[in-house]
Formats: sequence, C-alpha cells, structure tokens
Amino acid sequence: MMAVLSMQSSHLRNGVFVLLCQLALTGFQLAQAQVKPDSAQTHEYRLANGLKLIIREDNRAPTVAHMVWYKAGSMDETNGRTGVAHVLEHMMFKGTKTIKSGDFSKRVAAMGGRENAFTSMDYTAYFQQIERSKLAEVMRLEADRMNNLNFDDAEFAKEIQVVMEERRLRTEDKASGLLYENLMATAYKATPYRHPIIGWMNDLENMVPNDARQWYRDWYAPNNAMVVIAGDVDPEKVRAIAEATYGKLSARELPIRKPQIEPAQRGTKQVSVKAPADTPQLAMAWKVPHIDPAKMEDYEPYALALLAAVLDGYDNARLNRTLVKQDRIANTIDAGYDMVARGPQLFMILGTVAKGKTVAQLENGIRSVLSELKTKGITAAELKRIQVRILADKIYKRDSIFGQAMEIGSSEIAGVSWKQLDPILDRLQAVTPEQVQAVAKKYLIDDTLTIASLEPQARGTSKLPFKAF
Amino acid sequence: MTLITRIQSALITCFGLACFVFASSANAILPIESLDTVKGAKTYFIQIKSLPIIDVEVSIDAGSRYDPDNKNGVAALTAQLLTLGTGSGKSSLNEAQIADQIADLGASISVAASGERTVLRIRSLSRTDLRDQVVQLASLILAKPSYDSKVLDREKQRLITALLEAQTKPETILQQNLRKAMYGKYPLAYFPTPKTVAAITATDLRNFHASLYRGDRISINIIGDLDRTQANAIVQTLLAGLPQSGPAIAPLPVMQQNPQGPISQREVRIPFDTQQAHIAMGMTAITRNNPDFFPLMVGNYVLGGGGFVSRLMAEVREKRGLAYSINSYFAPGKDAGFFEAGMQTKKDQAILGLEVMQKTISQFISDGPSEEELLAAKSNLINGYPLRLDSNRKLLDNLSGITWNDLPLDTMETWTKQVEAVTLNQIRAAFQRHLDMNRMQIVVVGINK
Repeated sequence: MMAVLSMQSSHLRNGVFVLLCQLALTGFQLAQAQVKPDSAQTHEYRLANGLKLIIREDNRAPTVAHMVWYKAGSMDETNGRTGVAHVLEHMMFKGTKTIKSGDFSKRVAAMGGRENAFTSMDYTAYFQQIERSKLAEVMRLEADRMNNLNFDDAEFAKEIQVVMEERRLRTEDKASGLLYENLMATAYKATPYRHPIIGWMNDLENMVPNDARQWYRDWYAPNNAMVVIAGDVDPEKVRAIAEATYGKLSARELPIRKPQIEPAQRGTKQVSVKAPADTPQLAMAWKVPHIDPAKMEDYEPYALALLAAVLDGYDNARLNRTLVKQDRIANTIDAGYDMVARGPQLFMILGTVAKGKTVAQLENGIRSVLSELKTKGITAAELKRIQVRILADKIYKRDSIFGQAMEIGSSEIAGVSWKQLDPILDRLQAVTPEQVQAVAKKYLIDDTLTIASLEPQARGTSKLPFKAF
Repeated sequence: MTLITRIQSALITCFGLACFVFASSANAILPIESLDTVKGAKTYFIQIKSLPIIDVEVSIDAGSRYDPDNKNGVAALTAQLLTLGTGSGKSSLNEAQIADQIADLGASISVAASGERTVLRIRSLSRTDLRDQVVQLASLILAKPSYDSKVLDREKQRLITALLEAQTKPETILQQNLRKAMYGKYPLAYFPTPKTVAAITATDLRNFHASLYRGDRISINIIGDLDRTQANAIVQTLLAGLPQSGPAIAPLPVMQQNPQGPISQREVRIPFDTQQAHIAMGMTAITRNNPDFFPLMVGNYVLGGGGFVSRLMAEVREKRGLAYSINSYFAPGKDAGFFEAGMQTKKDQAILGLEVMQKTISQFISDGPSEEELLAAKSNLINGYPLRLDSNRKLLDNLSGITWNDLPLDTMETWTKQVEAVTLNQIRAAFQRHLDMNRMQIVVVGINK
C-alpha cells in the first residue's frame, strides 16, 4: 500500500516489510480446509525475569522463525546520539565473551539458517529462520548476546563506516529517502520520531564505541525483551528451553522513558526538498490517532485504516482511479496509515507527478478527492470490498510463518496484545461508511497537515556513454 | 566445540532428515503431477491442502527478448494492459470493472513481463465459487485484451516518466551499462527507452499478443487446496480462448560469450554526481540446465552468496568497512545466463573497493574454496533446504523454475543429494570453465575517468 515505511531495515540487503494494516477475519465463509483460530495455536508465557515468550504453532513445514524483540528503537534515543539503536544492532554481530566476532553468523549459517536484524522507530529485532531441530541452538546464541556482548573498539571503527555507507545508499543519494526524512523532521518538533532511524550523518560521525555500549547496558535486558517463535514446535518443550537459556539472565532496572508528547500543531507546515531526480513528488501527512491499548473500543483508528484502503487499497481505489487513470495528474499515488505503533502517527498520501503536470496540480487533485469523500461519504459497496479483502488476507498471511511472528511482535511491542488481533479484525468489519467519512472530516484538515515536496534537480554529470537511454 | 566439528555434526543431523517436508502436515516432499495436456501447453500440479488457498501461474514464452526492434517495451505493455480492459461489446469489462471484480472476490491477479517470459499469477481462496469466478476472469483477460488506445497512451506516458526518473539513479545507469556490455547483440542487451516506448502502437501489442500468447508457448503451474480434476478444469478454462499455435517465430540469436580483451575494452567509468560510487562486474555464464549449475551455486555461496559469511563480505565489509552491501550471484536463465558481483562505497574508496573485489574474485577462480569452506557451504545449503519450500508461495516459485527450465520433475527430491555430491575439484573446474577475469565486464558509476 504505502511506499514510505515507518521501518528501515538493516544488515542484509533485503529488508523485511510487513504492514500491520493488513489484518483479517471472522464471519466470512471461507474455506474447504479448516484454519484453526489463532487463539488455539498461540501460547504466551512470562519468565520470572520479566521476559515475555509467545509461541505460534504452525506445523505445515518443519521450519521455525525465532525472533527477539527489544523495546528500544530510535524513539528512545537522545540528541547527539541519533542512530545508536541501529548502530548497536550492527554491533550485536561483533562478538560476546565466548563467541568471536562474526561467529554468530557462521554458526547460524552452518545450521542452514537465515538471519537478519532490523531497527525501527519503536524497536530493534533479531531473527533466525531455521529447520526445527536447530531451535535450541539459536535460542542459546540469542540469550548469550542478550547479556554478554563484548566488541572491541576496532570493530566499532569499521562498522560505523559501514553504517555511514548504508546512510549514503538509503538517504544521501536517494531523493525519496531525503523527502521522507525532511517530512518527518518537519511534521514533528518534539517527539523523537522527528529523527531518522539511521541517525543524522553528523551524529554517526561523532559516535564512539561507548555510546553503543551504553545503549546496550540500558536496554538489552530480559525485562525489556520479548521472544516470538512461530512454526513447527512443541510449546512446552520450547518453554523449557527458554527457561534454561533466557531464563538464566537477570532483570535490570531500565532507564526512565520520558513521554516527549508532540505539542498540538497549529497550522499547515511546508517543506521543499531539492535533490537529483526527474519527477516531482508530493507528500501530504496529517496527524491522526493510533490504537490506544487502554481504549481498544475506540473506532477511529479502524475507520482511518479503512479510509486509507478506500483511497488506495486496490487498483480501482479512489486515488488511483481519479488521479492516475482518469485525470492523469499523478504517475503513482499511495496512501498509508499504521494504526499500531508506540508513537504518534501520520496519515500519509504520497504521489509522483505525471509528465507535464505540477506539484500544485497534484495537491489540488488530492484535495478534491478528499473533499468529495468528506462531503458525499463512501458507498457501502466500496467499504464491503475492502472488508472482504481484509478477510481474505487473514488466510493468505498464514502462508508465511515469518509474517505471523512479525505481526505478533510488532503489535506486542506497541502494547497491543496478540489476543487483540482477531478482535481488531472484528472491529474493522464493524466500521460503517459514516464512520469513515467522519474521521476524514475530523482529521484530514489543514491545521495538522504537513506538506513536503521534491523539486527535482539535474544530476551533475558529464556525457554518458549511452546517451540514447 | 570447534567450528568444524559443529559443521560435521550439523551435516550428520541433516542426513537423518533426508526426506524433508513441505507445506503439508505429512512432512514429505510433495510430488509434482503432470496434468492433462491442453492445446500443447505443459501443465503441472502440486496438491497442498493445509491452507484453503490456491495459486495458479501461467508462464508465457513472450518475454521482452521478443520485443520488436526499436520498440522495446512491447512485451511489458502487452502484459500490463491485460488487466486494463477485456472483451468487446456487451461482454466487455473496462479496467475499473476488472479491478472491482478481483477485489470483490478477495483474490489477486498480477501480470508482468521479464526478459525471458511473461507471467500471470492468480491467488484465490479455494472456495469453489470464488475460485471459479477468478479463473474465468483470468481466462478472459488472457485471451481477449482490448488494448484501448487511450489506456495505452496513458500507460506509455507513465512508463516514460518512470524511465526518465530511473535515468537519474546510479543503479539504473550501472545495470544498463553492464547488461549492454555482457549481452552484446543478444536481445536481453536492449531495454525500453522513452524513444522506443513512444513508438509503440496498439497494433504492436495486438500483433505481439496474437503471435506469442498461445498454447504451445505456455506452461501452467497450479498448487494448493484442490484436486487433480479441479486443476484440469482450471487449465481448460484458462486456455479456452487462446489458440494452440500460430506462425513460426524466428529463433533468437545464440548468446555469444564475452571475449577476452584488454581492460580498456572491458571497463567503463561513468562520472555521476553521487556520494557513492556504484561498482559492478559481470560476464555471460551458464543456463539453468547446465551440468555445472550445482558446483557454481555451491562455490558462489562461498564467494559472495552466503550473506554475512562469504569471502566478498569478509574482505569488503567485515575487514575494511568499505560497503553496506556486497554480493555475487549467478543468474542462470533458460537460454542465457550471467554472473554478477556488485557493491557501493563512497567515491574516494571506489578504486580500493574495485581492487578488493577483483582480487577476491580472481583468487577464487584460480584456487576455489578451501575444504572447510566447502563443508560450511554444504552445511548451510543442505540444512537450510526446508526453508526454500516452507510456504505455498515458495513451492510455486520452485515448481515454476523447474517447469520453465525443463528440469527433471524430481529436482526438489534430489536437490540436497546434488549439493552433497559437489567436490572441490568440480567447483574449481567449473569456475575456471565459466568465469575469467580477462573476460569480465566492469562498470563504475560515480567516479572520474
């Protein structure tokens, strides 16, 4: 759905992206084969040291996804040390008291495992995908680096260079990366969501090994961690292994998290970004609520999720139909909203401008689509179409055990229990056309809007060998 | 425990597994069945009842390598417009109606053309009424595209805009130049440009569709929660509106290997205003059915395919901190294939990065892996094989590769045995047979000449 993701992955070249808005189910007559409900397949435990363990049984294949989630993302960083959560993620592969630098990966590779890690604004997560008999060994390895990380300064000096190369690749040389970074820094002035996950370049240049070590001491403790395991496992056996590995670690006192609530926005903010590109781009972002775990009944986040889908949930959804196909103002257009998150959320529309059209025309076009929706509402058929899609996706996503672990982990880290995932789907099914219209009118307003536009600049270059391209 | 003993024990464990299991509760590799032949199409099926879904793939030998001269983009647009209008008169559906129907069925239909083939994929719930309707719709889409000139005009403009944007990105310039250098006069050297796309007409699409979308150029792969009879019925429906064959298609030229030559003829450096230089080197290599496939795959795991533990990763990233991403791979196609390695690093390190890559690859071609590296590679590939088959989506990808490349239908069953059988000598010989630093094409974007 959305081109701009709130998660920036790291380490290997393939990022892992799962959008939480695609949940699903109940009531729809689905299947010839039976799909057991999540509640019967999922088990939750809390170890004495505070570590939460969640197991999703799925016996379709003899494989397992093992993930460790730390509630420590870029939103927990302080000024001057932006990017440290992600830098530490890289350093987690650089050795413990008993495992040499690089050997963690060698061992996982020898097991036939696939591994990676990623840092978001809300969390840092590590994972291995393995054949089921290897689970105990990766649990021992992750428990070891939860408590015994031990990297030297020379490793840090090389790895911080790697991270700066990552920043050059993802942001410095990429117009869409720069646009997103500027949008976030403009929309927010107090919440740490205003800083890029990868960190500002100057902060990276000035980061020292002890910044990463301090981050590790602050946040890498069993009482700030959660283990999510999905796949072909016996829950009670896994629990016993968890007690024997993670269970041996001691809880620690965590730093106090200041709320850093974003003050109310009072009027439209605007930023323009000049970067090498050919196509102008426009991002419009409104401040909107997300799910408050204490008020799961509140309909607004669900209505906003459906609003995003009505605008951009399928090929003939309103934005694409009107602006790309009929009016030919946009070359591409996306809308996105995450209802599950730790911090404040934006409802975003991002478009690239069609040849011969301008950013101003695209903005007007988007405004007119929204204005029609606000005044006339949406049809029941339109909403039903989206709701069917959500139900079907509930089944399709069972095809990936890794996807199931991702969904559980990213919800839990935001304070939304996996037990709420099915009720959330029920609530999505219960949303009415009037409610979708109501949240559009209430939240898609100029006072809380931030607009970012990309002004393409010619790339400085001399003659290319193949000019005809 | 030392690394070596651990690896050995891992290998032993894996022999105990011998027959893996997949996307089924039975935990055994599921057999590929041949379905009834319809209109000359090759048709295959794997039954998996563990989820109430089905996946169908229609592979058409109508990739961009068949683009008419100076009209590169025809294959892509012929495919892309399939879902943007079908039928005529009363039975016609416009793009909005097609999209709404697919959404209402809770299904998805995607179409895309790559260099070798055009692929249409359907995912649907297996409930009979939903499944039947989406297959019916796909059948119509495949056989009766309307190729409306207004829609084509719009899609051409969108494609041109995307191409112009891509030209501002270093990775595009890098890949276009490398493909050109590797493929020479073979059709895969060419790609759409604003000029070639502008020249395309609706008649071009109709001609391309009429001559190449036909039974004898199609294979169909079906997996999921249905039985053989139902799968055969899907094949019948999908092919109902298509001809069995058509006019003879001129054979493609045989791909020529990159010749040996001095560095001045093989390396191109392109100035570009970026912070990083993008570096790639590559050359023509094997097709998928080449007997050296397994030695090269296992060897490349050691060289640059094995994630964090490859030699290129160790030399470029772990030892020197030069790059975030560095890898190498073989891309073996049905009739042509290549080897490529690439990285990005800040400009003042570009020459160093290039040298480290060249030295690492060159040494590997001469010496091959060590005994220990070979063991580690096999351990990873064999122990990790279940991860290649643990979802319907991955099984479809495997099935598709097997049937498109005319591989034996027991390829999934014998895969780990083939990996296990690879020797040090085979790897060394295969790398020396297929790769040569004096034939390697090199492109650096973002560096002064």
